[in-house]
Amino acid sequence: MNSYLSNPAIWSRFQFGFTITYHYLFPQLTMGLAWFLVYWKWRALRTGDEQYNKAVRFWAKIFGLNFAVGVVTGMPMEFQFGTNWASFTRYAGGVIGQTLAMEGMFAFFLESAFVGALIWGEKRLGPRYHFLAALGVALGSWISGFFILVTNAFMQHPLGYRVEAHGALGIASPRDYLLNPWALVQFSHNQMAALVTGSFVVTAVGAFYTLRGLHRNQAQLYLRTGILVGLVASVLVAAPTGDQQAKMVGRHQPVTLAAMEGRFEGGSNAGVAMIGQPNVAARRLDNPIEFPGALSFLAYGNFGSYVHGLNEYPTNSWPDNVELLYYSFHVMITLGTIFIGLMAFANFQNWRGRLVSNTWLLWALMLAFPFPYLANTLGWMTAELGRQPWLIYGIFQTRDGYSKVVSNGDTIFTLIGFVFLYFVLGLLFLFLVGREIGHGPEGEVVTDARQLPEEITPELPEVIATQREEHFV
Amino acid sequence: MIAAWYAIVSFMLIVYVALDGRNFGAGMLHWVVARTPEERRQVIAAIGPLWSWHEVWLVGFGGTLVAVFPRLLASAFAGYYLALFLILWCLILRGISIEVGGHINDRQWQGFWDFVFVVSNFLLAILFGAAAGNLVRGVPLDADGNFSMAFFTDFKPRGNVGLLDWYTVSMAIFTTVILAAHGATYLTLKTEGPVHGRSARWAKFLWAAAVPLFVVASIESWQVHPDLFRHAMHNPFCCLGLLIIFGSILGLASGLSRQREMLAFIGSNVLLVGLLVTGAAALFPVTLYSTLAPENSLTAYDVAASHSALVFASIWWPVGLALAITYFVFITRRYVGKVSINRDTQGFY
Repeated sequence: MNSYLSNPAIWSRFQFGFTITYHYLFPQLTMGLAWFLVYWKWRALRTGDEQYNKAVRFWAKIFGLNFAVGVVTGMPMEFQFGTNWASFTRYAGGVIGQTLAMEGMFAFFLESAFVGALIWGEKRLGPRYHFLAALGVALGSWISGFFILVTNAFMQHPLGYRVEAHGALGIASPRDYLLNPWALVQFSHNQMAALVTGSFVVTAVGAFYTLRGLHRNQAQLYLRTGILVGLVASVLVAAPTGDQQAKMVGRHQPVTLAAMEGRFEGGSNAGVAMIGQPNVAARRLDNPIEFPGALSFLAYGNFGSYVHGLNEYPTNSWPDNVELLYYSFHVMITLGTIFIGLMAFANFQNWRGRLVSNTWLLWALMLAFPFPYLANTLGWMTAELGRQPWLIYGIFQTRDGYSKVVSNGDTIFTLIGFVFLYFVLGLLFLFLVGREIGHGPEGEVVTDARQLPEEITPELPEVIATQREEHFV
Repeated sequence: MIAAWYAIVSFMLIVYVALDGRNFGAGMLHWVVARTPEERRQVIAAIGPLWSWHEVWLVGFGGTLVAVFPRLLASAFAGYYLALFLILWCLILRGISIEVGGHINDRQWQGFWDFVFVVSNFLLAILFGAAAGNLVRGVPLDADGNFSMAFFTDFKPRGNVGLLDWYTVSMAIFTTVILAAHGATYLTLKTEGPVHGRSARWAKFLWAAAVPLFVVASIESWQVHPDLFRHAMHNPFCCLGLLIIFGSILGLASGLSRQREMLAFIGSNVLLVGLLVTGAAALFPVTLYSTLAPENSLTAYDVAASHSALVFASIWWPVGLALAITYFVFITRRYVGKVSINRDTQGFY
């Protein structure tokens, strides 16, 4: 009974990892989409063009579904600090609890006070307050992201704390804690990544409608706004934010950088592996194809710089799954590069006036939307696996953090519950979002003649559209 | 400082109960006050835009608890492990049922989500009631400040207790009735037509039923925890709490009998606040009683974070509260008056 799976910390890790990975599928879209709503609502106020209001109404429904699932799957995250990570909370609660509480007071109150107004209240509030509601929600969601990233940054690179009575942590400098450089870099990187998800989803829906010849004006609005924001965000996610993040890891977690790159031997003029499979048993990267000097340059700004290898560190200080960390990082980087290429090409075609006529490109844009979710998830896995074996880097180990009084059985039981509940929730979510996309932006009729029998008079399409709806219900 | 933080954390929990309590109550009465699909949409519209604003007070409370009383959160949440996850799952189902029910205008779809809505709210009221009973009765804390508790043991409120025993079950019943009455009072204020009439009748009936239950619950609490009452005599906040209770009962009774719905609803909120203030003041400074040995009990002083953490929290918390009050004013002004299903829906169909 001494196997890896009988270790209590592992089940609490599985549960936290599963629930947070699932949870973060939803906020990454709302944080990105919120600014589309603000922008369109602002354009509607300025121009009076009903087109923008239609877009907001349509996307607010999808936003609302995401937000609701985000709220209910977010609650378990905070609870688990107490239920599953009681020893960690006893030790560091005085520090990390500050930002968890601030997230509630400064972000959630703002966000939740206005999200109801955004989704339920257009008629009650009128256009000006409705715009303010969209702005409040967008700000709230980003502030929430900031406080969570400050909390995470403390776990990655603890600053501004001191050890006090009972051996627990206290705040030495609120300023160092809140303005941790790690937090600022990680926040910019993460928020740009959320914008990538948001813009890819908006673009995909626009491409889907365009390919089907539906909702022509709305579809073009989604496409054009989506690819522009998508390009800017995809570039910013790589440089400067991603680049700065990697430098931060190189400086403060050199063993993590070595594992991310699958580098066992240290050396100068270190390359970035384009392809290669980490072979931990033999301590080498199999079949590598490398860009020579690139890693030295990216991590330290000089092609000749020395980059540490895993062999320089004792194995018990290595991240506990080098392969998973390596692939998380590399797949994320590859996807990020593809995003820039795809969005750059889409903008180029748009500039030439060939975006909506290029069927291949529209298909690619439509099918691309799941990949930012994958890239975001892998990015977080890189951050969190890279932090191991530490819960707070360098001062508190993960294996010391779990709740001693909670048995493996309890955690396994609740994990099963979460897996099942979240599976059902996911089906429900996909069904409802699919349905909203099927209905399309409110008030538009079917515009594609191919969808209708030819002898139908112009009044009829709406009837058919409603009949279809009823059939679907 | 620590006493002040005890008051602040209690305040956040009390606000949560007053705000979300109305949703629990409305949810429990959903089937009986609203009979047709349109009437049921009316109930959902009355709580729809605001449930997440109410629920985040629980999140705010939890976060603040981590920051200022980390050892309390660690002991209590790990000890109540399974009960807390039940609460979480009910909160998930409750939130989802409010949001997705309105997405499809179909009787079977809405009927199903109405069912989830009613059942999850009932379970939440019962679980929170049992949790309140647990706070008064105590939990089997050991000398290290840890406990791990079964759902039930021998149903006796002494020694090695479980989550449920005769005392916590009767507290759960009392809480369920009080919250249902609170919800009925809220629906009376927010609705028109048949839902309004039924809610008003339920409010009177449930508040009347709450009076004998309150007497029973007080006597039981005295039986289970006699020290608490002796202790409460010396705490001026308990007297304040009792004053609030009596004042609010007058307001509530006059509001209910003279159809002054706003007065009744305010009375109902203040009554909940009064009950919880009295309870919190009677417990202070203990945050978690030990049923095994009094010296194992965790006081606010035992579980508080370090001084520097409390000082830092004292700086940002008032700012956060000021902002929260601003949003509260905005919301109250925007959502004043009765709901109308033509206007206050998600606009999905």
